[in-house]
Amino acid sequence: MTKDRFLADLKHALGGMTETERREVLYDYEEHFRMGLAEGKPEEQIARSLGNPRVIGKSYAIDALLEESREGGGVTAASVLRAVFASISLTFFNIIFILGPFLGLVGVMIGLWAAAVSLGLAGVAVFLSPLAALITPRYVTLAGMNPAFLLFAGIGVAGLGVLAVLGMWKLSGLFGQVIAAYVRFNTRIVTRRK
Amino acid sequence: MNIQFKKGVLELCVLVVLCRKDFYGYELVQAISKNIDIAEGTVYPLLRRLMKEGYFTTYIQESAEGPARKYYQITDKGKEYQKVLLSDWTSFVAGVNTLIGREDVA
Repeated sequence: MTKDRFLADLKHALGGMTETERREVLYDYEEHFRMGLAEGKPEEQIARSLGNPRVIGKSYAIDALLEESREGGGVTAASVLRAVFASISLTFFNIIFILGPFLGLVGVMIGLWAAAVSLGLAGVAVFLSPLAALITPRYVTLAGMNPAFLLFAGIGVAGLGVLAVLGMWKLSGLFGQVIAAYVRFNTRIVTRRK
Repeated sequence: MNIQFKKGVLELCVLVVLCRKDFYGYELVQAISKNIDIAEGTVYPLLRRLMKEGYFTTYIQESAEGPARKYYQITDKGKEYQKVLLSDWTSFVAGVNTLIGREDVA
């Protein structure tokens, strides 16, 4: 591993630190490399003796966490608990404030779909009712109306139904996109490091 | 040797060495790694932690051979802590040696 590679990996592992702290830590390793090189050691050997930069980075992170918990009232790993609570409360927030409205919206969508489809079916039924009257006159109550009117009314209502279904198709697509965008946004928040 | 065990002892070693004189980082790491087989990079996190806890301070000094060096200097608090750790270590080693040397210890 080269010096640059080592320092880059270490810098990456120190992601949770402030810029000042990270510079201070990296300075120690830069100095170490500088002095090792001045002694004539190859970069590879210096890096190998130092060890795995990711593991080293972790020990700084653990120290920082412990330090934070000490400052926060002496409870060991309080900051870990805080982090856990933060994620639980976010989940809780999702359940109460997001899942509720989400289920409500899904219900509204189902209702609108049912209305659109039944409007179309009603149109078809009205259109067919004069024919039905011919076959079973006794059971069709609309049979008394003008068959031509029923045919046109049926076509009109069925047309409205088709329009409603097309409208719902668009609305559902939009609904899906909004949900997907929200989920992405939420996942980013949950997985983002401070 | 067990890595956690080494890390615990490392703290004592750093403090003992720094009680003798001020060291710069690289020099201190070499002094320790010459005697104990450990990844050199693990010494720096320890140095930083002990410094934050007030056991020693750092200062930058120019050197004749090259760039400035960061020196570590033990504080009174550090000396006190070193005494405590050293006496803990001494009695611990004595206890372990007793156990190893005498098979009749239950």
